[in-house]
Amino acid sequence: MGVLTNRRRRWRSEYTEAADPRQQINRKLWVMRFAIVLAFAALVVQLARLQIVDGAQYRQRAALNQIRIEPVSPSRGLIYDRNGVPVVQNVPSFSAVAIAADIPKPREVAIAGGLQQLTGVPALETIMKIEQARQSNDPFAPVTIKDGMTADETFHLREQLAELPGVQVAVQPVRQYTGGPELSDILGYTGRVDPQDYATLKGKGYLASDYLGKAGVEAAYESYLRGLPGRQEVEKDATGRQIRVLGTQPAQPGDSLKLSIDLDLQKKVAQLLAATPNGGQAAAVVMDVHTGEVLALVSLPFYDNNVLSGKINETTLEQYLHDPNKPLVNHALAEQYAPGSIFKQITGTAALQEGVATPSTTILANGYINVPNDYDPSIVYTFRDWNTFGPLNFYGGVANSSDVYFYYLAGGYHAYGQNFNGLGIDRLVKYAGYYGIGRKTGIDIAGEADGVLPSPAWKKATFGDDWRLGDTYNMGIGQGFVAATPIQMVRITAAVANGGTLFTPRVVSEVRDAQGHIVVPNEPKIESHIPVTAANFAVMRDAMAQAVLWGSAHPAFEPDLKIAGKTGTAEFGPRHPDGSYDTHAWFSGFAPADNPQIAVTVFLLNGVGATNAAPLGAKILDYYLHRPQPQTAAAPPSGDILPGSAP
Amino acid sequence: MNLRNTPTREFDFILLLAAVALTIYGALLIYSGSLTTYGSPGQALSHPVSRQLAFAVIGLVAMVALARFDYRAFGPLSLALYVLSLAGLLFVLVVGSSAYGSRRWIPMAGTQVQPSEIAKVCTVIMLAKYFSDNQERMASLRVFLTSMVIAAVPAALVLLEPDLGSAMVFGVIWVAMVIIAGARPSHLAGMFGAVLAALPVGIWAIAHDYQKARISVWLDPNKDPLGKGFNILQAEISIGSGGWFGKGLTHGTQTQLDYLRTQTTDYVFSVGAEELGFMGAMLLLGLFALMLFRCLRVAGMSDDAFGRLIAVGVMSFILFQVFINIGVNIRLVPVTGVPLPLVSQGGSSLITILASLGILQSILGHRRRRGRAT
Repeated sequence: MGVLTNRRRRWRSEYTEAADPRQQINRKLWVMRFAIVLAFAALVVQLARLQIVDGAQYRQRAALNQIRIEPVSPSRGLIYDRNGVPVVQNVPSFSAVAIAADIPKPREVAIAGGLQQLTGVPALETIMKIEQARQSNDPFAPVTIKDGMTADETFHLREQLAELPGVQVAVQPVRQYTGGPELSDILGYTGRVDPQDYATLKGKGYLASDYLGKAGVEAAYESYLRGLPGRQEVEKDATGRQIRVLGTQPAQPGDSLKLSIDLDLQKKVAQLLAATPNGGQAAAVVMDVHTGEVLALVSLPFYDNNVLSGKINETTLEQYLHDPNKPLVNHALAEQYAPGSIFKQITGTAALQEGVATPSTTILANGYINVPNDYDPSIVYTFRDWNTFGPLNFYGGVANSSDVYFYYLAGGYHAYGQNFNGLGIDRLVKYAGYYGIGRKTGIDIAGEADGVLPSPAWKKATFGDDWRLGDTYNMGIGQGFVAATPIQMVRITAAVANGGTLFTPRVVSEVRDAQGHIVVPNEPKIESHIPVTAANFAVMRDAMAQAVLWGSAHPAFEPDLKIAGKTGTAEFGPRHPDGSYDTHAWFSGFAPADNPQIAVTVFLLNGVGATNAAPLGAKILDYYLHRPQPQTAAAPPSGDILPGSAP
Repeated sequence: MNLRNTPTREFDFILLLAAVALTIYGALLIYSGSLTTYGSPGQALSHPVSRQLAFAVIGLVAMVALARFDYRAFGPLSLALYVLSLAGLLFVLVVGSSAYGSRRWIPMAGTQVQPSEIAKVCTVIMLAKYFSDNQERMASLRVFLTSMVIAAVPAALVLLEPDLGSAMVFGVIWVAMVIIAGARPSHLAGMFGAVLAALPVGIWAIAHDYQKARISVWLDPNKDPLGKGFNILQAEISIGSGGWFGKGLTHGTQTQLDYLRTQTTDYVFSVGAEELGFMGAMLLLGLFALMLFRCLRVAGMSDDAFGRLIAVGVMSFILFQVFINIGVNIRLVPVTGVPLPLVSQGGSSLITILASLGILQSILGHRRRRGRAT
């Protein structure tokens, strides 16, 4: 029998000591019973607290545990030409992505190794990406490990997914442009969200792995094309494997765009431009003079936007970046050049409107003018013409593109007994401003250049030098400081043709949602009306028609089409030893001359306006107005064409 | 009092039924907890449920055999058993296979034996023998300290594996048995004082880094919700989300979607609490309470100190493991890997406990005189 100590049991003091050994034992066993009760009471209390008091809260957490809200990427809107021909489609691209939070840390290295075997991505790179994601505040965001996997890689990876917890095959639609490289400069391309932009884009619901428009229409219409991301409630197990989809708030597909571009004309213009021996850098823009819609916009050389969309082909990209002809630059709007004589449309209409000249104002154009220095008459500056013409009225001045005639109109002439008041620089600047020189046209393609509208203040600020009469002369004939883009020049010619309406050019005529409802209607966007009378515009149109009929733009003559136009040969770059310069070739015209429908501006970086640009312009105008009616696609972009449906 | 010289042949069916019920309860939870890995109950013998039931049968056979065997024979055998079990603990340190960073198992006959489970019972028997031999000298400090060493040696060996939970079991066994054996309160108080004083220092000095981390994560699992705190948080969510009646067996989202880890062993209680709810957990606790009280009944009815001490020793380690295991699940105590007796998957623990209950049945059945106890 257990012998007890001869002490009183404090918890049972009423018992007498050592009465019966069995009783003493029983008392000690009560300590054990008490221990059981105490331990179980603690367990029951804590269990009741967890399961009953806080049960609802834990149930919610359990539900949140396995349910993840995942964004559903909307399918990007499609793009059609003006006749309903689709020029882009969405095709699936497969990539390997990792969700850091779902990757068991002890297996991370093994998983990265497995991915290296399957996709060839170095394990170290994968680990670094995963670790970076772990430390970010959103370890559930998928991290792209490998983009654009081949069908083989995708197949093998999918087979191995069970061994790679936290790794998924993501299917993302990427753009495939079907309209040909002639459209690259208009459409632009899409690309992955740049890491440095992600912070701002995240707020708009973009994922790090999303694509968005990076150039051209894809960038300018990003907010329409993208659509609204949906949400999906997905039940997942602890390794991130999807068990089932609980609910979906579907994504809203992006709106589809209808281009004002006429694909057929676009290809023809590209083909004509590419065929000139002066190739290299060139641009041509065709505009509907009544609406400001751009029917064709070509910049040479092309790039292939399929190379830049989705998985980028690095070799080709390198070639593009090192090509001296800058294929990635849209020469029709992103670069500015001296406009040369096509600027005389502005000087001429301004002179008529301001009363500096009338159609019958006659000036003797003898090949040059001499201007003595204001302070030292023995110093004489000579301003040359490109030819000697004799006396010219306004029509003759424009048709022959006489520089002397326009020196007079722009700067006046007050020497050697003559006293002809010209516009002067202030009025010339004012009218150039009316025509939109020096500011973006607002065309719906990203990356437009401003051009240069020089003025005395501008020259002072830029060069610290005073404005001189010679500067006014030069500006009057589109030389010197003034610079413009082909898109600026074509809307100027369109304004002359339509009687003064300056449009904001558009390459997208209409935006429709996935159901075919019109989101942005096809309405002309008028920027302003140029304050020149209809009669004065008519004089300028007549003069430009004569230029084609018998003047300097005669190479643009087409027997069965009345074309009005102006050529330009603008000197640029350093002077050659023989005193000559490299020249840009310009032609800016419209047709039919008596009932203008379309305007065209052709620009060749190297060439002569009359010889090189004018015939091209004429062929473009003639093709558009005389071609067989273009085939209209079976269905216009409307509800029955679901944007984003890709094979 | 009614004296007799023949064994009573008494058998506690309630104790047996409680143990069998707990084993079946455990098998159901193991079934549910292994669905994600093994799918539906395959015919395969390797399925955890079939293995567990096979171990249960072995354990029950051992229980019945030991019930017929006079427990007094363990007296002379106690030292040999104790030394053998220490040898097993040493052996596991040398050749044991490791899991989760510690060596606890010896591969044997196609399965794995956990010597620490066997050592618990052998230590109980050894202490019972030592105390019953020294009943007259319980007041001596030497007896007190010697008994402490008897428990401390296996505890130290287990601690080296390292297995802090099992090491603590040996301490609890000793404390419970030394109280019943009649240690001097002053010795007990002195010992408790020393332990309390050394506890904070000791824990931080000898504990491995992983145990430090365990404690700091236990205090705030959200420090590392996807890493070390994952199990703690997910077990808590599992249990809490079970509510009154649970989500239904095999319908626990936490269990079936693998949010709960080691859901057939250390966290098997969470499976039950999630799928069977508070009521299911109460049933489990009720069965344990019943079993533990029946163990104490054996202690109270025992003929001699040897039997009584064995019964208390067995009761104390079962109670301690129940408390620690469930306490870990419900975040009442820091993470300590101790199996839930009869319920957690694992043959060594199951067979050892069923066999121990067989010894208790023997104590009941081999009394030479009948007496009444509570």
